[in-house]
Amino acid sequence: MFWRILKKDLKRKRTMNIILLLFVILCSMFAAAAVNNIVAVTGGIEYYFNAADVPDVTVLMMFSGENDLEEKIGELTSVKEIRTEHWLCVTSSKYFKYNGKELDNFTNAAGLISDNEMAINYFDENNHIIESVDKGCFYANAPFLQDTDIKEGDEVELTVGNSHLALKFMGRFKGALFDSGNTAVPYLIINSADYDYLDKDEAAHIMNNRQFYVTTSDVDEIRELAKDYSGVYVYTREERKGIYLYDMLSAYILMIISIVLMFTAFVVLRFTIGFTISEEFREIGVMKAVGIGGGRIRSLYIVKYLAITVIGALTGYFCSVPLGDMMMETVSKNIVFGSGNSTLMGLLSAVAVVIIILLFCCGCTRRVNKLSPIDAVRNGQTGERFRRKSLLRLGRSKLPQTAFLSVNDVISSPKQFSIVAVVFTLCILLMTIMSNFALTLKSEKILRFFDVPSSEAHIMESEIFGEVAVDQSTYQQIIADIEMLLADNGMSGKCTMTMGAQFATSHEDKTETVDFRVIKGETNDTLYVDEGSAPQKTDEIAVTAGTLDNLDAEIGDRVTAVINEKEYEFIITGTFSSFVNAANAAFLYKDFDLGHQGASNVMGVQIHFDGSPDKEQINQNIEKLKDLLDTDKVYSTPDYINNFTGMSDTMTAIKQMMMVITVIVTALIVILMERSFISKEKSEIALMKAVGVGGGSIILQHSLRFVIVSVIACIVSTAVLMPISNVMMNWVGNMVGDISGLKCDFDTLEIFVICPAILIGVTVIGSFLTALYTKTIKASDTASIE
Amino acid sequence: MNTVLQTKGLCKTYIVNKHQNNVLKNIDMTISEGEMVAVMGPSGSGKSTLLYCVSGMDKVTAGEVLFNGRETAKLGERQLARLRLDEMGFIFQQMYMMKNLSILDNIIFPAVKSKKNRESRRQIEERGRALMHRLGIDDVCGNDINEVSGGQLQRACICRSMINNPRMIFADEPTGALNRASSDEVMNELLSLNRDGTTILCVTHDARVAAKCSRVLYIVDGAIVGEKEMGDFDGGDKELRDRERELNNWLMEQGW
Repeated sequence: MFWRILKKDLKRKRTMNIILLLFVILCSMFAAAAVNNIVAVTGGIEYYFNAADVPDVTVLMMFSGENDLEEKIGELTSVKEIRTEHWLCVTSSKYFKYNGKELDNFTNAAGLISDNEMAINYFDENNHIIESVDKGCFYANAPFLQDTDIKEGDEVELTVGNSHLALKFMGRFKGALFDSGNTAVPYLIINSADYDYLDKDEAAHIMNNRQFYVTTSDVDEIRELAKDYSGVYVYTREERKGIYLYDMLSAYILMIISIVLMFTAFVVLRFTIGFTISEEFREIGVMKAVGIGGGRIRSLYIVKYLAITVIGALTGYFCSVPLGDMMMETVSKNIVFGSGNSTLMGLLSAVAVVIIILLFCCGCTRRVNKLSPIDAVRNGQTGERFRRKSLLRLGRSKLPQTAFLSVNDVISSPKQFSIVAVVFTLCILLMTIMSNFALTLKSEKILRFFDVPSSEAHIMESEIFGEVAVDQSTYQQIIADIEMLLADNGMSGKCTMTMGAQFATSHEDKTETVDFRVIKGETNDTLYVDEGSAPQKTDEIAVTAGTLDNLDAEIGDRVTAVINEKEYEFIITGTFSSFVNAANAAFLYKDFDLGHQGASNVMGVQIHFDGSPDKEQINQNIEKLKDLLDTDKVYSTPDYINNFTGMSDTMTAIKQMMMVITVIVTALIVILMERSFISKEKSEIALMKAVGVGGGSIILQHSLRFVIVSVIACIVSTAVLMPISNVMMNWVGNMVGDISGLKCDFDTLEIFVICPAILIGVTVIGSFLTALYTKTIKASDTASIE
Repeated sequence: MNTVLQTKGLCKTYIVNKHQNNVLKNIDMTISEGEMVAVMGPSGSGKSTLLYCVSGMDKVTAGEVLFNGRETAKLGERQLARLRLDEMGFIFQQMYMMKNLSILDNIIFPAVKSKKNRESRRQIEERGRALMHRLGIDDVCGNDINEVSGGQLQRACICRSMINNPRMIFADEPTGALNRASSDEVMNELLSLNRDGTTILCVTHDARVAAKCSRVLYIVDGAIVGEKEMGDFDGGDKELRDRERELNNWLMEQGW
């Protein structure tokens, strides 16, 4: 009998069961995809580092000379293994020719690695370890390939000094310790014979860059040793994970989207289950009347929901695979993910969905205990609960009747419609926040977070300022040459360069390696500080909030740093925000002289044109400079920022994806909720038709209810958008750098017109099309409605 | 007297699981203005279907339904809706009302929708209150539908059916869900309306209810097999008992 009731119920309540099934599918699909994302991103980098055989410590040497550091490290008893990888240096992209044209797509000097000296595992696009490279061939990482259409099999010509090579492109490679951002260093893996051929040319040795991969039980010992050498940077395995911040950022944003979608699916699911139970008061009452116990009736529903949930969760899991892949596409371009985990985690998350939904069901079916046999004869109204439903008065309202009914319905059922409003608000917020992020990340207002003063043009050709990497005192000549070039060509202006180098810095018993920066050249800008004041003397510095924490210092404290073998004492005057190496960063006063120290971090040459030229004039100047300097790497400020962040494009892509997801989720919610409402209000619809209300009015009333809710969602989202955007932007900024007080930009048209229009448009179309179903309800149905 | 409703060869057929079910078979009937007609018959005989077909709520399979001389089958959905709104009133066995509206709003709802009387909302509301006063439920006008008794709710449904001053009221088992006291109250109200000139077609299986009507049609298996003129009812208890007895005897003769 139990199974017969269940079978009959599944058949009779087909529509509601299908609705429930759809939501379980939706829910488990997003849950599985989100869990996959979380596991893949959080565990993915560790997996990748293990697969790539990244050791405990990497020691990067970036200078032109030779030293005995490798030997000294090898002599340490704590060191178990040391592997060395040399990189030949190609100082500019213009030394690469593709289809007869010089490349201009990257700004840093490129590094060449020999295939017989690969110290860690490098992977091809299919995540296979690259064992060797054929002679005359090469693999390249993402920064080399950005903005080009170089395809596998294409030939690229390379000139280093007097040596020439024609190399065939074999595909993109993933290097666990190579950044993949827009401004990252491009690397190529070439055959050892080709490497040896180029190695003979002096021009390839402008920088004798190399990296030691050290397996050791004592990192501090290596750090202590490295302090005595200049141009040497020691990173632990954990510190190296920082290069994936941008990748992590995209994944975290996707994770937030997944959680919101999951929340949406669960909320609607709960509503649907609760609604189904309330629809079946009569059956429950009758079952109780004939003596079936509450527990037995609950188990009837739970078994039904178990069946629906298992089918839905399995379907949802399979649907989550392409969704998860799509969401992870960007991240997986740069990281090698393990495949076993995701299948297991996906299945586990599907099982979790089943459990959570069943717990939901148990919670929702508690209402079964409250329903009594008398409900079967009293239409579910026991007479014990008197909650006023009608809040507006038709006789006193000025609204047209249809509008009145819609508004009254929304007000009278706040729980139902507020669920829809919350979901709509979340959907529109995700769209608009992404829009704000995308806009802010290419806004000129964030220029200061790149540690450069206000400027209109930026020269990023490393050939022009590359010398500072060896000796930063050469900046004077570089700035003087460019300023003269500008003056000679009728676009006079002042140039600045921001350079930096890392030095051990101590406060009391705490010692940290801090990246010191200084702006050289003429500028009227003073450093923008979040707290305190900008340094005014050579013994003053501003630091990031993170540096203050790491040094356990406060504004006003004194710290000591050893620069060029001399100990300096600095007073901390304030804190500043920065995107660049902000974990430990300090700003020096402009007059501080770093001597002949090689600059580890150069942000290009900034130009501030005299006479405040307009945008058009600036662009003309930039074009002229490109010709004069024979490079395309002269950028306007927005392009410069976009070049650095690269996130703006990602955010735009996520925003577009969110728009699609919003359209789908909104349409689904509108269709399913409206379908539920029609089913619930069948008797009222039939009654309205019976008393002479036209079908058009009923469709309009139903559509209008969702439009009201979507308009409320738009208003609420507009009110909270900017505060939420600012909080999130600063949170994101703190993941990348050390940021506070950043206010988001916004596109009025997009966030106040286009995004709300999308939501309202989908709502109107979805609710109208679904409300057409009311046509199937006839006036005569009043005779057959329970 | 003018004819309000007339059917000629009215047929209604349902197809259920490929089986043809002829619910109404060649029904010919005429209802004149001011009449109060009861339709009686056993369960499943087609009483309610007849009511829904003649009121334009359901489509007929064959035959004609003339309401005030207009053939309802030739009217479009919108015209039919307008006809029901302005010219007809409905009372159902279940006291269907819109749960998000108060009792008074439910009553005036058809009047607000109708363009028949060009009245302001305030005037409509006053008329609604007056109707409620007449039916003795003016004290519950601000209540929700779950805050009143079944009898009060059915009287509210009668008010709603009356709000547009219809030419005819269709009542489908109007006392079916009520106790005897409430049932008497509701029927007295319908009688009162009828005396004021409203034509009423009432489906019932309660002889006590039908005894108050001026004419009774007996329907079996979709066909009218008997018709009894009862004459006007004056409202006395004794007369009602006599009429009920007479009707029961007649029904027995019909095979009730």
